[in-house]
Amino acid sequence: MTDVICPLCGKPNPPELDECMYCQAPLKTGGFIAPPEGEADLRSSLSSSDKAGEAENQATEPGASSDLEQNIPDWLKQTEANFLDQSEVKPEESFPDEFSEQLDSLLSPPSTPPSPKENAIDDAWLASLLDEAGVGEPAPPSLQGEIVEEHEPEPEIYKLDSESLVEGSTEEEQLSPAQPAEKPDWLKNLEASSTIKLEGELFSSETEQKEAAGNDIAEEKGQAQPPLPEWIAKTGSEENPPSPQEPEQPIAPAELPNWLEALRPTETVSPTGPVEDLTGAEIVSSGPLVGLRGVISAHPSAIRAQKPPTYSIKLRVTDEQQARVEMMKELLADEEKPKPLPSQPIITSRNIFRLIVAVVLLLPMVWMIISGSQQTSTPQPGNIPGVVDFTQQIQMLPSGAPVLMAFDYEAGFSGELNIAITSVLIQLMNKNVYLTLVATTPSGPALAESLIKNASSSLAGTPRSYSNYADLGYVPGGTMGLLGLAKSPRSILPYSLESDNVWAGAPLNAVASIKDFSAVIVLTNDPDTARIWIEQAGPLLQEAATPLLMVTSSLAEPLIRPYYETTPAQVQGLIAGLAGGIAYGRTVGNIQQNGIWDAFSMGVTVSFLIILIGSIAGVVSKMSAASKKKEN
Amino acid sequence: MKKILPITNAIIAVISGLFVLLGYFFPGVFGGIQSTLIGWAIILAAIALLLGIFNLAMVHWKKIGSDGLGKINSIALLVSLIITIIVVSISGPTGSWSLWIFNSFQVPVEVSLLAVLALILVYAGARLLARRPKWNTILFLVTVLVVLLGSVPLFFVGEITPLSIVRGWLAQVPAIAGARGLLLGVALGTVATGLRILIGVDRPYGG
Repeated sequence: MTDVICPLCGKPNPPELDECMYCQAPLKTGGFIAPPEGEADLRSSLSSSDKAGEAENQATEPGASSDLEQNIPDWLKQTEANFLDQSEVKPEESFPDEFSEQLDSLLSPPSTPPSPKENAIDDAWLASLLDEAGVGEPAPPSLQGEIVEEHEPEPEIYKLDSESLVEGSTEEEQLSPAQPAEKPDWLKNLEASSTIKLEGELFSSETEQKEAAGNDIAEEKGQAQPPLPEWIAKTGSEENPPSPQEPEQPIAPAELPNWLEALRPTETVSPTGPVEDLTGAEIVSSGPLVGLRGVISAHPSAIRAQKPPTYSIKLRVTDEQQARVEMMKELLADEEKPKPLPSQPIITSRNIFRLIVAVVLLLPMVWMIISGSQQTSTPQPGNIPGVVDFTQQIQMLPSGAPVLMAFDYEAGFSGELNIAITSVLIQLMNKNVYLTLVATTPSGPALAESLIKNASSSLAGTPRSYSNYADLGYVPGGTMGLLGLAKSPRSILPYSLESDNVWAGAPLNAVASIKDFSAVIVLTNDPDTARIWIEQAGPLLQEAATPLLMVTSSLAEPLIRPYYETTPAQVQGLIAGLAGGIAYGRTVGNIQQNGIWDAFSMGVTVSFLIILIGSIAGVVSKMSAASKKKEN
Repeated sequence: MKKILPITNAIIAVISGLFVLLGYFFPGVFGGIQSTLIGWAIILAAIALLLGIFNLAMVHWKKIGSDGLGKINSIALLVSLIITIIVVSISGPTGSWSLWIFNSFQVPVEVSLLAVLALILVYAGARLLARRPKWNTILFLVTVLVVLLGSVPLFFVGEITPLSIVRGWLAQVPAIAGARGLLLGVALGTVATGLRILIGVDRPYGG
């Protein structure tokens, strides 16, 4: 059966219905007829009908008709003969027109409402079957006339699928010869049903009657007809698969009350918008939209995640590119190898000049030291700031008083500072003060011990060991260590390097803080170290009026000197550099000339000359080079 | 744990810094806590010094396995370190053997380095004008020569008093002015850094 697709919901409906049995939308005005499932079969049947027409034309030729007649089975010939005997209508008179009408109705869309006279299907089927059989004999005129009379306004009958045709053919084939004069029961039933339908009977009753008629026919067929030949039974079984679009049991339209009919909008009955022809579109076979045409399929294959394509990572390198890669590798490998420095000649003008400078500078100094020259006048204590005050502070110290000495200078400055430090130590030893030695540099304790031994060996010309001191060693922590030492030296350095608890005995047992010392002497070459001492220990010392004395190098002297020159002074005495040491030695009567001062003076003089001569020579050479460039 | 430890470190550092700082302003109240904390810091500094020595030894121990001239230097350093440790351990830090090592090796080496430095400076001063004949170079060289002549009585010449006065002015006015300016900048930076550490913004101890 050909279904009519609802334009609104897209569901198939029986062609008899005017409204969709699912959504009640009108089917006849804007709907379209879905192509039957066996559309190809129908077209093939149509083509076969054409072929049958051709065969009919050929039937006029004796040779062709004889061949066809030979192929017709005997039972069909007998059936045909009986049929022709009972009919008086000439086939040439009506069949071509009827067939053309059928063809036109098949090719044209449905324009008229379906007719209730569905039983005419069987007769049309019989005619087409005869054509296919190649008999060339049309349907009996009387029957054909009935068919034309009853089914002319019914175009839906030509939309039958091949399966119904085959099914109907087997029924009609066997019924028509058995009841030539009067209508069979099933036909009467059909007519009755069509009459009932015309009178407004429900479609369901008609279908039931039709099925009942089919059953009756089948029963009669089984009783009155001989068994079908095997080939046509096979054909019938092959061409009669169960149709998935069998018309469902129609639902009887509800009888609406009058008031509801009055409320029903009339616009919905006749939609005006054009409906797209989706006959060529595919029907969705799965998913929630199954059965619909012209929509995007929701088949899982359409949205199935696909594994991303894999591409080969292997590079396709040409020979030239490979050669360049090898070259780059070689270059990188050479970069990693240590390259030996280019050997320079030992004797160059620069090296000769360096050698000359060294010789000119060192030889006079060495000569002065060896000869013990004293030609240069020694500095006077009054001309060196801080020396006199330093001397006075030392002389004011009582005998046996505890004095803290911080050896915070590097061993490299010992040549400059040792003269002054030795003089100070000798003076302190002569006063028999108790020396407490500390250091904020790792080499300080060793320096202190060496100087103590050197100083004690030259005390008053009679070498003796000076033991009135305690070497407390190294104070780590830099500024923090100095602050700790200033606040509580007893806890920071509880034992001496000899592992003696010096704080238990006199005179250190009376010392709880750095201000309890009689004097603090800082020996340093670093201005920062001197500043830290002034900043961390200075306030405590000023509370007790404990003098802070410093022996520094010439390098640190400019920065420390302001602390000495301020009022009140934060540094009460200052000995700076070699000049200060010699001046202090002259003050305390410990003159250690032995050529050092002359050597120092000679060195400064030679350095001045070297720099001056070298600078003049450089300027002259530059000027000569520039003049040569100008000449060229 | 990763969040608790940094916070704990910051709390310890801030509280310790505050106690040390308050010890300057209120020595009678916070002086004891300040001294205790400083004592701990000194101990930690001593341990850090030992760790530094150990690290130095390990670095040169690894260098012994490598090729080149550095291998010889590393061997010399390790041998000297071991010998010194042994000698000082036996003789004591102020023993005669310890002082012999100090006076025979360390003092001459350091003095020699300073002597070479003096020689190099003289050589560089002599070539300075030849390499860079500019006005600031000339000014620099003139200043050097004046300070040299004003520091010491020249041999066969004696003291040049005007140069000594000029030298004193150069050392006490321009040089000290520049040095003090630097020190002020350093002091301000130190104050800012200390405040950032006290409020926990800077955490050099990590976290």
